[in-house]
Amino acid sequence: MRVRLIYSPDVVEKPILAEVISKTGLLINILEAKVDAQKGELVVSIPSSGKKLEEAIAMFRRAGVKVEEIKETLKIDREKCISCGACISPCPTQALQLDSDWTLKYDEERCVACGTCVHACPFDAITLLEDAGKVEACSS
Amino acid sequence: MKIKRFLGEVLLEGEYVKKGERIRSVREINEKIKCGDAVVLTAEEMIRLAESSGVKAAAEEVDVVTTGTFGAMCSSGVFLNFGHSDPPIKMTECWLNDVPVYKGLAAVDGYLGAAALSETRGFEYGGGHVIEDLVSGKEIELRAESYGTDCYPRRHVETTITIEDLNQAILVNPRNCYQRYNAATNSSNRVLHTYMGTLLPNYGNVMFTGAGQLNPLCKDWNYETIGIGTRIFLGGGVGYVIGEGTQHDPQSGFGTLMIRGDLKRMNSRYLRGASFYKYGVTLYVGIGIPIPIINERVAKTAALRDDEITVEIRDYGVPSRPDRRPVVKRVTYADLRSGKVYINGRKIPSSSLSSYKMAKEISEVLKKWILEGLFLLTEPVESLPRKGSLKPLRVRRREPIVRDLMRREVITAKPNEGVEEAARKLIVKEIDHLPVTTENGRLVGIVTSWDLARAIAERRQVLSEIMTRRVITAREDETIDAVAWRMAQHNISGMPVVDEERKVVGIITTDDISKRLVEGISRR
Repeated sequence: MRVRLIYSPDVVEKPILAEVISKTGLLINILEAKVDAQKGELVVSIPSSGKKLEEAIAMFRRAGVKVEEIKETLKIDREKCISCGACISPCPTQALQLDSDWTLKYDEERCVACGTCVHACPFDAITLLEDAGKVEACSS
Repeated sequence: MKIKRFLGEVLLEGEYVKKGERIRSVREINEKIKCGDAVVLTAEEMIRLAESSGVKAAAEEVDVVTTGTFGAMCSSGVFLNFGHSDPPIKMTECWLNDVPVYKGLAAVDGYLGAAALSETRGFEYGGGHVIEDLVSGKEIELRAESYGTDCYPRRHVETTITIEDLNQAILVNPRNCYQRYNAATNSSNRVLHTYMGTLLPNYGNVMFTGAGQLNPLCKDWNYETIGIGTRIFLGGGVGYVIGEGTQHDPQSGFGTLMIRGDLKRMNSRYLRGASFYKYGVTLYVGIGIPIPIINERVAKTAALRDDEITVEIRDYGVPSRPDRRPVVKRVTYADLRSGKVYINGRKIPSSSLSSYKMAKEISEVLKKWILEGLFLLTEPVESLPRKGSLKPLRVRRREPIVRDLMRREVITAKPNEGVEEAARKLIVKEIDHLPVTTENGRLVGIVTSWDLARAIAERRQVLSEIMTRRVITAREDETIDAVAWRMAQHNISGMPVVDEERKVVGIITTDDISKRLVEGISRR
């Protein structure tokens, strides 16, 4: 499951992620990170489900980190998309690929909602869904 | 004399075509199509057949190979005739959905270019989109102005039109269907938004375009069957090749085509308006050309594969004219289409701007048309030129370059210098930028008056703690235009000028540039 971790200034300097990893033993993968002295936002993938996942999320929340689940990030308008590939190589996480019949396929699990593909598409076929668009486009 | 020489060349071209051992003529192929006996393969199928049975056998068996391409073709546009209003108007300016139409033609004739931008929506909408909307049957806002004449008294008209209302809508594209196209990457440290799409910094990706093994001119590499008068699939309808395209560069293997077709009979699935972020608008055009297999040589090129068609990857991080952008690597379409290429040992993702899926679909649709007897082939009345290459535009008026405006006495500092000492230098010399160099003059950083003010407030001691290490620099031979653009992009007001060893040879600031501008104006 992918979640966005939002650190407030009070907790941004604490090694919370490291603590959660060492206590739960989960191999949490950082997909995107934006951290400075004032605040931090991480998009991470937690390879777990059920109780263990809940436990990890609860640990973040107890430590003062806001946790938002990322469900749907992009919407691709299949009427507009011509499967050119203009969005594929700019995508930092290989979430967009061509399948064996040269049609664009999209791997929701890999997407970090950076928005690079939105500008890369010549046909205005990709929209970043609102709840996913909190991380600023890294192409700016 | 001139005419004789011209005819001589054309005849020579003709002889070249006949030199190959003729297997079948276009007329014979058309007879077979009419009887439903023609053997028609798509370019992909031809490749497979040549691989399994060899080119010779494939040449004997196959009558026609169908090709396809679907990509951005900016040199596209449509001639329109609006018909006369009552009272009539001699339109001198005209807009369709706020996109300007070229009006240097007769009263109600116009040319709408695919790359023309909407005057109200900018990069979002343009000529390409209007063409797509026309083909889709949508209503389009027409607005036109005039000065009024005795024969055309009206001075303004505003109405809506659809493609049905037009007398003619003829797609005439001066340059389509590039045989190959060089790929693009970006060595600079910022994202570039180009006509080759989004190019990530530090060789972050490679963008390419072209249908490669499906491309019509690749499949008739020596232009033996495609020429003036060749009937083609164009935008879902039927069109014709009317000659070589602009920038046709046959000697380098970058041929192009000029084409025309009736827009009223096209399909918006194969003509799509597109916008490139921070670049502009264009039209994606679908073209398919049947290649009659008239001899073995044509069969051989019709069986060319992606791994036999090479292009260069060029560095768009260097703002030079296209042929001077440094070549980073030579690769094949197969390399590019695999999704990754290696640059300096690093695996770099690559992807296409043109749609292979749609190109393939076009080759299949054209095959179907021919098999159903709906589409007959034509013999060209004249070949495409096989000689000639590209010339650049020579700028004869001398433009100011960095060397003309830079200051050569550069005040610099060393990394271990104290913050206060550096601040004093800026005040005494009345400057804002202080390049930081090593003992032998190599640039390692820069500090500005703003950096120093903050360093003093934060009680920092040494320049190496506070200097910016990734310095944006200029070269002596760059134009002022290019460096002014870079300064604006990075929001900075000065750049050290460095040589190839990154030694500081000068400094150029926005002040220097604006002073020069003011001097230039006052001197006039």
